[in-house]
Amino acid sequence: MLLSYAPRFCWRGFVYLVWGDRGLKVGLSHKPGLDHAFWLRKGYRHFALLTPPLPLGTAFFLQEYLRRHLSGSAGPSFTVVRNLLNKARARLGLPPGPFTVTPFPEALPAPPPLELALVRKILSGRILWLEEIEEALAESKMGVTTPLEDILHWLYLAGQAEVIPGVGYGDDGEPRCRRCGQTTRLLTVACAACGSSDCLICEKCLTMGQSRRCRPLYARPAEERRLEVKALRQVEPRLKYELSPAQRDAYQEAAEFVLKGRDKECLLWAACGAGKTEVACGPIAAALGLGKTVLYACPRREVVRELQVRLRSFWPELEVLALYGGSTGKYGRADITLATTHQALRFYRRFDLVILDEVDAFPLSEDPMLYYAVERARREDGQILFMTATPPPALVARAKGRRIKVIYLPARHHGRPLPEPEVLRDPFLAPPGAGPLPRLLIACLEQTMAERARLLIFVPAVRLVDEVVTWLLRERSGEETCRVWVRGVTASHPQRDEVIDAFRRGDFPVLVATTVMERGITIPRLNVLVLYADEERVFTENALIQMAGRAGRAASYPKGRVWFLARRVSPAMAAARYRIREFNSMARRRGYLVEGKE
Amino acid sequence: MKWLFPRPSTCVWCGRPAPGHDFCSACRQQLKGWQEFYRPCLYCGRLLPKEGEKICGHCRQKPPPFTMARAAGPYQGLLKEMIWAFKYQGRLSLAAPLGRLLAQVVVAEMGSWRPELVVPVPLTPGRLKARSFNQAELLGRSLAAELGLAFDGSIISRTKETAPQINLSREKRWQNLAGAFQITVPEKTKGRRLLLVDDVLTTGATACACTGVLMKGGTTGVAVVTLATGIEKSFYFST
Repeated sequence: MLLSYAPRFCWRGFVYLVWGDRGLKVGLSHKPGLDHAFWLRKGYRHFALLTPPLPLGTAFFLQEYLRRHLSGSAGPSFTVVRNLLNKARARLGLPPGPFTVTPFPEALPAPPPLELALVRKILSGRILWLEEIEEALAESKMGVTTPLEDILHWLYLAGQAEVIPGVGYGDDGEPRCRRCGQTTRLLTVACAACGSSDCLICEKCLTMGQSRRCRPLYARPAEERRLEVKALRQVEPRLKYELSPAQRDAYQEAAEFVLKGRDKECLLWAACGAGKTEVACGPIAAALGLGKTVLYACPRREVVRELQVRLRSFWPELEVLALYGGSTGKYGRADITLATTHQALRFYRRFDLVILDEVDAFPLSEDPMLYYAVERARREDGQILFMTATPPPALVARAKGRRIKVIYLPARHHGRPLPEPEVLRDPFLAPPGAGPLPRLLIACLEQTMAERARLLIFVPAVRLVDEVVTWLLRERSGEETCRVWVRGVTASHPQRDEVIDAFRRGDFPVLVATTVMERGITIPRLNVLVLYADEERVFTENALIQMAGRAGRAASYPKGRVWFLARRVSPAMAAARYRIREFNSMARRRGYLVEGKE
Repeated sequence: MKWLFPRPSTCVWCGRPAPGHDFCSACRQQLKGWQEFYRPCLYCGRLLPKEGEKICGHCRQKPPPFTMARAAGPYQGLLKEMIWAFKYQGRLSLAAPLGRLLAQVVVAEMGSWRPELVVPVPLTPGRLKARSFNQAELLGRSLAAELGLAFDGSIISRTKETAPQINLSREKRWQNLAGAFQITVPEKTKGRRLLLVDDVLTTGATACACTGVLMKGGTTGVAVVTLATGIEKSFYFST
């Protein structure tokens, strides 16, 4: 609940020049007295404030512009400086500003070294608002007496921290959120905190706090190079069961990706339900063995919480920290950090290995900001391992063009092939309720009932869920078998989890769902039917693969059936079936399947 | 090119198509769904069951000092989510459409009572600095622009730093606000009908406190419009 009323720190300050025997520097400051003291210590004797107080985003752009054009100068020519400032202002769409050169105020005392060291340590490997740094200090039960913004400014002067405007400008003068990387959904608003009438705010990343032109982000790459090398006994995961041959090979290959360190990026392309998490233990163990830091990021917080339990059981001696909306201890240190991709926005050049799970899942697939966040969380020489069953097209293109290392995990743990979708064509397939149930649909229902399995029916729209349920109930009331034999579920269903749990328990045999059930769900003895599968806007190739991947996951019922029922065969349906077959033949070629060995 | 190929207008909340409207039909439906079951109390605007009394128990006991209060809906569901996103997350792009929603309420409910000046409920300087915007002021500006009314955000000021009303009981809210507001420019309000704007009206303590100082300053009458209001609890007891 965001009900805190601590005053917000809005940065307003000056762009300035200092020069002396060692050349000329351009800087920005909210309190020039501090800069005066700092530069005097460095031997600079001449100081000039060039602008009136400006919001950080504007001051930052002007400073960068001047720095680019004045680098190498021995001293300033104020005519040149004025012209440069006016050109930079024009880039931002601002009229030429008043230009007066004013001296610096008296030098202020420097913050105490101990407080500087403390804040430096707190900020290490992170990118945070001032308020978040205060929280981190409070969490570590430490405090400072000097104003925090002054300490951070001194660190910036000393090159030990960066000051970045929440919303800044690109080289072309276009506004850009420097927290999430977006250039859209930036809104001009008045800011009562700093009095600016034309502040810019990013509405894209609001859930993580307001990113504004006047709010500074403070960032510092992680300084500690390596963790203590753990004893081998500690870094080897204690897996609960033996890995399958396919998993063992992928585990080894992924560990070598980290041990060799030659490739910066790698894609672990796994079949649905093949056990990626166990395979991910390979690179994690390899990284820990080298004393490297590891971030495991995935889009959903339920997955993060579940992973925390699993990884803790694999590595009981190690510290596993889970970060998600509402988690506590956000600023602690750990051997393995798990985070939702949103929480990764708070890390800066911190991790040697970033594992990005479910890279194509919502919201990651929709949102380039989260790639931006994860990319920024790794060290400049760090590595990224993408893991998914259905990589997005850009990643597939890179994989096909051999521009990224790919590790395949084509077989499931039980060694049975992935269920290949059967395409059922019904050229007269009507909307729900228009006419009797399609004959092919009845056949799928009867086959499922005969096998005492469950049937998950996917439909392409929320409104269709209820319509299909009514259609099924109208045609087959099921009074003779059980009272309710079919139910529906959508993302906004008030009892979503209860319905899914009841279906999992086998309380009713047929569930109609939207793509909310597309991934992350394992239900034993399951057949899958995709109704209106040729609806390409919703049923993309990747969505169809994920839906087909719900069937045959358990060793007790590995031959689950998958049906695509449609009026025609869409390209996405054909591609999904081709991809699944491709994986099966790769698994067969590599000898991972047990079908012939029975 | 924009004229030839206009961008389809989308719902400001959920992004679904909403040609010619701020909100899509599904969101509009959710925002107006309450009208089937409730109607506002004639005085304070809190929602009462449609088939019951026209005036709530509180107003029967003691009518409020303002002429009337009306809201766009109850503080629940989609409207509550929008107010949270706007007020606490700072999703300021909602200010204009929510202000227009308030304008619709004013036109529909106060047709014959024509306000002359729109006034927002103020924040204390400290809270304004912390939040960086006054949600009532943004709503009021948008509403005034939509209806072509004058707006003045500096007529009342909040002089006392009060605890957030959200955590307080009904009695405590009234005590909390005692002497919290003062009128800064009485001559601007004298003899005029004012429309006071806020985001939520719960007990009505804030609206009453503001109305009190405005009436002392010579205002002819005050009407209140808010995004959300409460559902009268006696309804629950009686059913």
